Amino acid sequence: MKTWQRLKQEPGLWPQYRLREQVLETIRQFFKQRGFHEVQTPLLLPIPGAEPNLEVFETELRTATGKKRRAFLAMSPEYAIKKLLAAGGGNCFEITRSFRNEEEVAVGHSAEFTILEWYHTGVDYLTIMETAEALITTVIKLRQPNLKAWQYQGKYYDLTCPWPRYTVASVFDKYAGIAIETLVSESELVEATAKKGYQVEKQTTWEQAFYQIYFNEVEPKLKALSRPYFLVDYPVQQAALARKKADDPRSAERFEVFVAGVELGNCFSELTDWQEQAQRFKADLKQRQHAGKTLYPMDVDLIEALKSGLPETAGMAVGVDRLIMLAGDLPTVAETLFFPTKELFDL
Amino acid sequence: MAQIKAGNIAKGMFIIYKQAPHQVMKTEFMNPGKGSAIMRTKLKNVATGTVSEFTFKTNEFVEEAEVDKSERQFLYQDGGDFVFMDPRNYEQVSVPGRLLAGKEKLLTTNLAAIILILDDQPIGVRLPPNVVLKVIEAHEAVAGNRINAPKKPVIMETGLEIQAPLFIKTGDKLSIDTDTGEYLARVN
Repeated sequence: MKTWQRLKQEPGLWPQYRLREQVLETIRQFFKQRGFHEVQTPLLLPIPGAEPNLEVFETELRTATGKKRRAFLAMSPEYAIKKLLAAGGGNCFEITRSFRNEEEVAVGHSAEFTILEWYHTGVDYLTIMETAEALITTVIKLRQPNLKAWQYQGKYYDLTCPWPRYTVASVFDKYAGIAIETLVSESELVEATAKKGYQVEKQTTWEQAFYQIYFNEVEPKLKALSRPYFLVDYPVQQAALARKKADDPRSAERFEVFVAGVELGNCFSELTDWQEQAQRFKADLKQRQHAGKTLYPMDVDLIEALKSGLPETAGMAVGVDRLIMLAGDLPTVAETLFFPTKELFDL
Repeated sequence: MAQIKAGNIAKGMFIIYKQAPHQVMKTEFMNPGKGSAIMRTKLKNVATGTVSEFTFKTNEFVEEAEVDKSERQFLYQDGGDFVFMDPRNYEQVSVPGRLLAGKEKLLTTNLAAIILILDDQPIGVRLPPNVVLKVIEAHEAVAGNRINAPKKPVIMETGLEIQAPLFIKTGDKLSIDTDTGEYLARVN
């Protein structure tokens, strides 16, 4: 039965789906009260993100006079918003759709999803952690005001702020016995993985070794905690668009936030150095080619924007569907959507 | 033994994990976004029943266990065991109840099922997609509750209780989905 048919048959289900409306309104109020501008950036783009592990939806733009252009659905609004920051737009946020192809059909994923991004100038990722806690708890309280004993899928969590912050190096050390020197070393981490008994081949990369240990040894321990947490200071190999830490260039100023074991968002102290950004783009695009992903050129317009001067900024992306799922105590993101992708496309 | 890529592991398959055959209970293909794709699995040791979770790189090699799958007819229940027979040579095999995983009440005499055998030991049972059972108890539907709950409980010959449409009567034969245990159709 389709979701609309179920709603017709069981009108008691409407509040479950109308929670989305409340959450979107709450997020808007939250940022407007803090003086952030709401912006709208394109869903249809000539060049999408360079993320090496994500696949894009490609289409073609054709004009009435016969002009043809490659066109892509946005994987995130990040590049466009950064151009606005370089232009002097200041603190801003966007709630928009993003699209990722070739994703699994799972409880926390949908090919089309709602993403919140906010960018705060003149601060670093430490400020964003406080904003993230405040925002997430504000949304959670819509349905369950008691943060001390918040319930999700039958399990209790203590969401009182501040939330614990663990560095990536500390959890690899504590739960997997991997010291930071080994963790950040390309060859030593792969070697340590082999010693632990994981399958390692000649082409096994640092990143594969990192994730195999993370998912098998670190994440299960973190998921068992009854507190939400920030995982901070990723090794530079996982820096993406984050700047390196001034006092320890082996790590980057990046964090992810987890509530009830669900990854809700990702934050960077944004990289402002255009030369380093261009280098990372080139490396990412090369990796895309290696992985057989759709290829397109580098977004030189973003490099131009960084060159023209991007203020010190920290930015965060939050999966809004997952946030609604948590706030509504629902087991999957599909149950927050009137028209889940997997229902529309029979996946 | 056949080698497969971990990315192709599927639910229901048997693989060798830590030198022991395991049945794949659950898989989740994940693309963490910042990392390359992985395959999360939940595996059950077929000898001990112990369940463990393991995350594979999608491109690593995994050994698929060679499981013999052959059709057997259900004969009778013997204490906690369920006895099946090979219709060609009348050889019997005793299947421990835990392998039926709560599907005992879908079995009727002579039902043909696939018995999975590894190293001469039964390790699993696959029932046909649907079975036909007779209703032995069905009450008249209560009037006034027809909009939100157009179904009622009925009891089948094996003691199985299912939700069936209001028109079902004692003596009807029903086709039941063996995967979900739900009513499919009346097949009188």
